[in-house]
Amino acid sequence: MANESKKEDGSEEEGGEFADFMADISHEIAQRVESLGTKVKPPREEKKKTPAPTDAGLIAEWPNIADRMIEEVR
Amino acid sequence: MSVVNYGTREITCKIVYYGPGRSGKTTNLQHIYSQLPEERKGKMVSLATETDRTLFFDFLPLDLGTISGFATRFQLYTVPGQVYYAATRKLVLQGVDGVVFVADSQSRQLAENIESLQDLHANLAEEGFDPRTIPLVMQYNKRDLPAGEISSIEDLDETLNFRDVPYFSGTAITGGGVFETLRSVASLVLSRLSAPAAKES
Repeated sequence: MANESKKEDGSEEEGGEFADFMADISHEIAQRVESLGTKVKPPREEKKKTPAPTDAGLIAEWPNIADRMIEEVR
Repeated sequence: MSVVNYGTREITCKIVYYGPGRSGKTTNLQHIYSQLPEERKGKMVSLATETDRTLFFDFLPLDLGTISGFATRFQLYTVPGQVYYAATRKLVLQGVDGVVFVADSQSRQLAENIESLQDLHANLAEEGFDPRTIPLVMQYNKRDLPAGEISSIEDLDETLNFRDVPYFSGTAITGGGVFETLRSVASLVLSRLSAPAAKES
């Protein structure tokens, strides 16, 4: 591979070569990052929340149940 | 040295410019530094002797900003080419990610080029790197000298580039081939990010 330099007299405007270099490197890194699958992942779907219990399933009279349990133990 | 750190989302590449004394390693870094926009110009650390020879090493940090979500930094080093700074060269090679071998195109410097290349391979091996696989780019510098004083690109490549790696002609004193060389070695280093053995820490 023979790669002759584009610039032999140093006449290119200051920062031009660096800007070209930056553009190439940015492109290269973007490709590598993409190939590694390290792109920012899209936000995950919101998890399903546990549905609130209906009134039918609620134990409304805890004190009474506790009394009955104590009675059973005796 | 880690090349990519997913935890902190950083990419850091250490690139070392290697080659015999007076081949133009420091000149490469000086040209890169001269082309940096003011807002990116950090400090180029250069320790030279009274005769402008690199005493210890040159260090040019390149902060490229955030690219694809990764804070990207290149650290460019040169080694002192003189034979008696062997310990320094080995030290600078620690944690290297890619190497630019800057060869002096002058015909009378061919033996020095070969000796420096052998020194590079020996030091890489001692530091635990495989000299056959580490990202490497050749730059045949001083192409602006009279044709009678320099070897042809073909001859230099035949003699020095037995790994058949990318090579570039350079006139670092005016910037010729400097960024092409840097772009090539950077590309080789970055391509290893996707290899299964790519280091991650």
